[in-house]
Amino acid sequence: MEILIYTLLTAPVVALLIGFCFSNHRENPIYGSAILGVAVNMLAAIALLVMWLRGGMASVLVKGPVLYHAKESEFALTFFLDGYGLAYILLSTFLTGIIVVFSRTYIHREKGFKRFFNILKFFYCGLMVVLLAGNLEVLFVGWEIIGVTSFFLISFYRERYLPVKNAVKVVSLYRVADVSMLLGIWVCHHYFGRSINFAEMNGLNDAQPHIMAHGFYEFFIPATFLLAAMVKSAQVPFSYWLPRAMEGPTTSSAIFYGSLSVHIGVFLLIRTSPLWEDNVVFCVLIGLVGLSTCIVATLIGRVQSTIKTQIAYSSVAQIGLMFIEVAMGLYWVAIAHFICNALLRSHQLLVSPSVLNYQIHNQFFHFSKPAAQETEGLINKLKLSIYTLGIKEFNLDRFMFRFLWRPLKKAGAFFGKLGTQNTYILALPPFLMGAWAAYHKEVVPESLLRYLPEAFAFFGLIFILQAFVERRSALNAWALIVVNQLYQALAFSFNEEFDMSQVYLYLSGIVVSAVIGIWIINRMRNNGEDVSLAKFHGHSFEYPRLAFLFVFACLGLAGFPVTPTFIGEDLMLGHIHENQFPLLILIVLNLIMDGLVIFRIYSRLFLGPHEKGYHETAYRSS
Amino acid sequence: MSFDKDRLFDRLKHYLPTQAALKDFVHHNPLHAMQDQEFFKAIFSASRIFGIKATFSFNEYRKLHEAGRIKVDFVERVIREEKGADAVKEWKEKMLNGNYPHTYEPRIGSLREAWKPRLKCSLDDRVQPLLFRIICSYLDQGISLWHFPFEDRGLIEAIRTIEKNSFSSFFTSKRVRDLLMDDGLSLEALLKIVVGREELYEQYVLDQQFTHKGWSGIINAIEDQPGTLFYEKKIELRDFVMLELLLEIDAIDQELPGGWKPLGEDQALKSEDYFAEVPTGEMEEVLKLWQLAFEWDYYDRVLAGVGYLNKQKRRQIEKETSFQAIFCVDDRECSLRRHLESVDPNCDTYGAPGFFGVAIYFQPFGGQFVEKNCPVPVTPKHLIKEVETTHSHGSVPFHDKKLHTFFRGFFSSLSLGLMSGARMVLDLLRPSMRADIADAFAHMDVNGKLLIECEDPSLVEHDAQVGYTVPEMADVVEGILRGIGLITDFADIVYIMAHGSSSANNPHHGAHDCGACSGRPGAPNARVFAFMANHPEVRNILKNKGIEIPQTTHFLAAMHDTASDEIGYYDRSAFSAVHKEKHEENLAVIEEALDLNAKERARRFASINTNQDIKKIRQAIKKRSHSYFEPRPELGHGTNALCFVGTRHRIKGLFLDRRAFLQSYDYRQDPDGEVLAKVLAPLPIVCGGINLEYYFSRMDIEKMGAGTKLPHNVVGLIGVANSSDGDLRPGLPLQMIENHDPVRLLMLVEHSPEVVLRILNDSPANREWFVKGWLHLVVSSPEDGELYSFRDGEFHKYEPIAEVSKVEDIKKAIHSHPEMKSNYILDATKENIPVHVYEEA
Repeated sequence: MEILIYTLLTAPVVALLIGFCFSNHRENPIYGSAILGVAVNMLAAIALLVMWLRGGMASVLVKGPVLYHAKESEFALTFFLDGYGLAYILLSTFLTGIIVVFSRTYIHREKGFKRFFNILKFFYCGLMVVLLAGNLEVLFVGWEIIGVTSFFLISFYRERYLPVKNAVKVVSLYRVADVSMLLGIWVCHHYFGRSINFAEMNGLNDAQPHIMAHGFYEFFIPATFLLAAMVKSAQVPFSYWLPRAMEGPTTSSAIFYGSLSVHIGVFLLIRTSPLWEDNVVFCVLIGLVGLSTCIVATLIGRVQSTIKTQIAYSSVAQIGLMFIEVAMGLYWVAIAHFICNALLRSHQLLVSPSVLNYQIHNQFFHFSKPAAQETEGLINKLKLSIYTLGIKEFNLDRFMFRFLWRPLKKAGAFFGKLGTQNTYILALPPFLMGAWAAYHKEVVPESLLRYLPEAFAFFGLIFILQAFVERRSALNAWALIVVNQLYQALAFSFNEEFDMSQVYLYLSGIVVSAVIGIWIINRMRNNGEDVSLAKFHGHSFEYPRLAFLFVFACLGLAGFPVTPTFIGEDLMLGHIHENQFPLLILIVLNLIMDGLVIFRIYSRLFLGPHEKGYHETAYRSS
Repeated sequence: MSFDKDRLFDRLKHYLPTQAALKDFVHHNPLHAMQDQEFFKAIFSASRIFGIKATFSFNEYRKLHEAGRIKVDFVERVIREEKGADAVKEWKEKMLNGNYPHTYEPRIGSLREAWKPRLKCSLDDRVQPLLFRIICSYLDQGISLWHFPFEDRGLIEAIRTIEKNSFSSFFTSKRVRDLLMDDGLSLEALLKIVVGREELYEQYVLDQQFTHKGWSGIINAIEDQPGTLFYEKKIELRDFVMLELLLEIDAIDQELPGGWKPLGEDQALKSEDYFAEVPTGEMEEVLKLWQLAFEWDYYDRVLAGVGYLNKQKRRQIEKETSFQAIFCVDDRECSLRRHLESVDPNCDTYGAPGFFGVAIYFQPFGGQFVEKNCPVPVTPKHLIKEVETTHSHGSVPFHDKKLHTFFRGFFSSLSLGLMSGARMVLDLLRPSMRADIADAFAHMDVNGKLLIECEDPSLVEHDAQVGYTVPEMADVVEGILRGIGLITDFADIVYIMAHGSSSANNPHHGAHDCGACSGRPGAPNARVFAFMANHPEVRNILKNKGIEIPQTTHFLAAMHDTASDEIGYYDRSAFSAVHKEKHEENLAVIEEALDLNAKERARRFASINTNQDIKKIRQAIKKRSHSYFEPRPELGHGTNALCFVGTRHRIKGLFLDRRAFLQSYDYRQDPDGEVLAKVLAPLPIVCGGINLEYYFSRMDIEKMGAGTKLPHNVVGLIGVANSSDGDLRPGLPLQMIENHDPVRLLMLVEHSPEVVLRILNDSPANREWFVKGWLHLVVSSPEDGELYSFRDGEFHKYEPIAEVSKVEDIKKAIHSHPEMKSNYILDATKENIPVHVYEEA
C-alpha cells in the first residue's frame, strides 16, 4: 500500500513537470501528461480501495523520512490513509479527470492553456498531499498549495481588473485560514509536546504534564481548525468570497469552487475530529456555524440573479449542512453528501452556459408572471427586509472590511505617517543592538531579555504595516518585508530556546527570495517601468518570465513550503511558549500581514490591466 | 452653460450599445452611432472618445507586412491613391519606420477620475457591485428564486416601495434614504449634490454610464423595445442614472463621514465636450494607409480572379438541370454550394437573404410569444402559427432552479449527484443531443403543421395578419424568383435551403443562426416559401406575370445546420412518387457535398484529424455541435470579407474560402436595374452589420467584443458577464472572431456602373454605406468585362495588380494549407487560403 500512496503523491508531480517542459501551443503533450497522471492515480486509488476493503477497512500510516528533527519537534513526511481520505481521493481524481478532458477542448487555443493545466495539476498535487497527510505539518503544506493555486486560478485572466482584485481578496481571507492553521499546529506542539500524527490522534488526553488550563485548550485547539475550515468552506461570515472566486474559466470554477476546494473544510474537520468530538459544546458550536450558513446562504442564494453565484450559494448552504452532519458525528453521511453535492454542483457549473437557452425556451412556452408582492403585514415586511439583505449579501463583505481590513489599514496609515526613512533610522539601531546582543546574550539583563522578543516582533509589525499601505515604491515595500522578517528572526533568537541553526534555516529562503525580488524589481525599474504600488500595472503582459520568477520569490519570502524557510517558521513557532501570548499574537499578525503584502506587491506589479494600452485592454468593470 | 437633460439622454441613447437581450442576438454595426461620419474619421474619433482600439497597432501592421500578408505593391498603391504619386517615398518611410508614441487617453471618464484622490479608493468599486446586483435582479428573467418586487412600477419607484416596507435598506446613509423618499427627487437635485456645477453634469453622467456600458446599453435597449424581455420590466435609463447617483452619495458619505463637497467645487475641473471634433494627425493617416493596404491586398486578389474570369469567354453550358437549391446569402453556405456544384455539375444553386422574402412572426405551437423571423429593420405584417406538433421539448433536471433551495437542494443532490457524475462521463465520451442544447431543428417541429394560408384577413394577432392571402403569396414568390433570376427552366425539385446552427453551452447561439431571420433558424420561412410556391393559385397568378412554373416542379423546404452539417427536410408528404425518387437521387449528392463541406470546415478546427475517413470527419463535426465542452461548434461568419451580387456562373471556379456572401442576381433579366435596387436594399445592413460587428470585435475583443467566453456567467437570462460583479459584455466572444481578418466588406455587383450609380443615388440610405466608406463597392461590368471601383461618389476603372493564382486540384490546396499556430492575427491570417482560380470553363 505504501507504494500506492507514494504513487498518488508523485504521479501528479511528474505530470506537472512533464507538462511544464512544453510551450503553450503544444497542447497535446500538456494535456497528455495531465490525463496520464490522473489515470495513474485513478488506478492507484482503485487499487488502494480494494486493498483497504480487504484489509478490513483499517487505516494505514506510512512513516516517511524525517526532514528535520529537534528535541521536541520534528518535521516528518508521514502519510495516512483512511476511508474518508480514500473517498475524497477517489472523487477528486474522478472529477479532475473529467475536468482535464473537458478542458482539453474547452481551453483550446487560450493564451493561458499551459498555465491552466499547470495550475490544475499543481492544485491536484496539493489536494493529494492534504488528503494523504499523516500529520498537521504535511497537511499544512498541501493546504498552502491549494491556497496558492486558488489565487492563480482566480486571477487566471490576469489582464482584467476584477479577477485580480477578487483573487487578492480571496487569498487575503485564505491567509487568515492558513495562519489559524499554523496556530493550531503550534498549540498542538505545546499541548502534546511532540508532533502528532493522525493515526495516533487520541483526543486531547495525553497532554503534556505542564499544561494547566485544560479547559482553554479544549476549545482553543479545535477552534483554530474550525476557523480554517470555515474560511476554506466559505461558511458564514466568510461566504461572500465563493461567488467572487468564479473568475476563471468555467471548468476551473466547477472543480475548485463547485467541488473539491470548497469542501476541503469538511474534510479538515473530520480529520481533526478526535480533537473535538468529545466536546459537546464545541460540537454544538460547529453545528451552529453550519446552521447559520444554511440559513444565510439559502436566503442569499434565493435572490441571486446570475447562474454561477446562485450555484455557489446553494452549494455553500449544503456545505453548511455538512458541517451540521459532521458536528453530529455522522462523518460518513457528510462524506456521502459531499460526494453527491460536489458532483452535482460541478456538473451544474459545467453546463451553466446552457441555462440561457434552456430557460428562455421554457419561458417561451410556460411563462407565468410571478404573483405581485404585497406590502401589508409583518410577514411581507419581513420578506422585503430579507430580500434587501439578500441582495446586499447580508453585508458580509462590508463586515469583513470593517472588522478585518480597515483596522489594519488604519494601523498602517498611522505608522505610515512616520515616513519610511524615519522608520529605518529609528529601527536600525535597535536591530543592530539586537543582532549583536543575540550573540552575546549574557550581557543583557534578565529582566529586559524577557520582553525583547515581544519588542522586536512589535517593531517588525510596524514595518509590515507600513509596507501594507506603501503606495509609491514596490522596492520599498519589498525591503520593508525583508526587514520585518529579520526582526521576526531576531524576536525568535531572543526566545528562550535559542537555536541559531533554526534561525539560519528560517532566513535561508528569505534571503534568497529577497535578493531575487530586489533584482527583478530593479531590473524593471531600470527598464523604465512604473514600479509603484498605487495601482495595478499588469507587467506580466510584457514580462511573463519575470512574473513567473517573481512568484517564486514571493512564495519564498512568504514562507510557503517552497524553501526551507517554511520548516524554520514552523520550528520557531514551536518555540513560542504557551505563556507568551502577546508574542504569539504579534507573530501571527506579522505572518498574516506578510502574506497580504507580498500578494499585494505581486498583483500590483504584474497583474491587472496592462496600463500601456497599445493593445486591447478590458474595461475595469468587465 | 446650463444642463440640458434631453441632450444628455439623446447622447446616451445614441452612443450606448444597442444589443438587446442575448436571446435576440442580431448582428449590427457596433459603431452605428457614428455611421454618419466617414469610416476612418469615425473609428479614430471613437478611439479617442471611448478608448477603443479600432485598427491594428503599427507593430502588427508592420509584422503583417513582413509576413507577406500586406505586400509592398499595395502599400505603394494605396499611398499613390491617397497621397499622390510623388509622396510614395515619404509616406512609405513613415509607414515602415515612423515612430508614433502611443497614448491612451480616452476622453470619456476623465472627469469622474477626480474622485479617486479625494476618496482614496475607487468609487466604482464601492458602487458597482451593489448597483449591478440590483439592476440584474430587477431585470432578471428567471434565474433567481425570488423576483424583484414591484418591477412594474419602474426602478426608482420599486426601490422606494421596498424601502418603505422593509426593516433593512439598500443604503447605509440616512440622507440617501431621505433623498429617495423625497417627492422632489430629481436627477438635477442628485447631480447638484454629487457634481455641483451645472456645466459638468452631462459630462459626469456620460463618464458614469460609460464605465459600465453593458448594463447601461441593455437598459437603453429594453427601454426602447420592452418586448425583448418575455417577463416585461418597466425600466428607464433615467431611473438607473438616479439609482447610481444615490449609491454614489451613499458610498461617499461612508468614505468621507466628515461631510464633503461636490466634485465640481474644484474649479480646476473644466467642462469638455466629449463629442467635439477629434483632431487627427499623421499617426491616424498612416494607420489608415496601413488598413487600406491590408484590405486591398486581399480584395485585389479577388478582383484579379474575377477580372480574369470575365476575360474568359465563358458560356453557360447547355445542360439538363438536375435540381435547383436556393440558399441564404450567408458566407457559410459558400462552400456547400461549391461542393454541390462539384459533385453534381448539373445542379444550380442560388443565394437570397435567408428569410426568402417571408417577413413573419412565427409562433410555435403552445408558445405564449411570437418570434420575429426576418431582418431586424423590417416589421412583419404576417403571423405564421404552428397549429399542430408531434413532439414535446424534453427537460433537464440539472437546470431546475429549485435545486438551489435548501431542502430540495439536499434531496436532489443525493438523488442527482451520482447521476450527474455518470452524466458528465457520458457527455464527454458520447455527446448526444439534449434538451438544453440549442438544436436548430428543435426550434420548429419537423413534422409540425403550419397555418400559412390566410383564411380571414381580419384576423389579427400580435399586430399581424394570421397567414398570407394568395395575392400576397404571389408577390413574395415573384419577388424572390425575379431577384435571383430564376424565372425559367425550373428543375423538378427546387430546394429552399434555410439554415440554422446547433450548439451546446453557448449563450451566443443566436449569433450563429440566420442573420436575415433576426438570429433564428430560418426553417419556418423556408417552409412558408415552399408552400407558397407550390400553391396552384399562386402559380396561376405568377403565370400571368410571366413566370411559368411547370406542374412537375416541386419546391421543398429544407434547413442546413451550419454547425453539424446536417440537412433536414420538411413537408415531404406532399411528394409524388417521381419526386420522391428524384429526391433520393439528389440526397446522395447532397450528402456527399455535406461530407466534403465538413471536411473543408474541419481543417480550421485544429482538433480534428482531416486525414481520416471522410465519414468520420463528418461525425466529428456533428459531435461538436452538441458537445458541452466545445466552445467552437462552428466559426460563424469569421473571415467574411465579400459580398457578390450577380450570376453564379460569373464566379464559378473562383475559390473564395467561405469568405463571401453570395446573392444571386441576373443582370440580363434586368437591364434597367429595377430588380437590382430591391435586391441590394437589405444587403448593406444585413451583410455590412455582420462584417462590422466582426471587424470591431476582432480589433478590440475586450472593449468592443465580449472577450473569451470561457469565464462567462449567464446573468438574468439576458446576457453574459465575467464573474459575479462584472458588467454585461455585449459583442462577439473571442472564440467567434479568432480567425477573422478584419477587413471591411467588399461588395461586388455584376452590372454596368451607370445602372448601379443610378440605383445608389436613388437610395441615399444605402449610398451612405459606400460613400462614407463603411463598405467597399466594385462593379463588374458585363458589357466590357472591366471592374469599376466606387470612390468619392463615382466609379473608376480598377486594374488589379495581383497575379491570378491557379490550381488544378482545389481540394488538395484546401487540405494542404497549414493551420494557425495561435489566434494572434499574425498566425491566424496565415490560415486563410489565398484566392485561387481552380476551374476554367
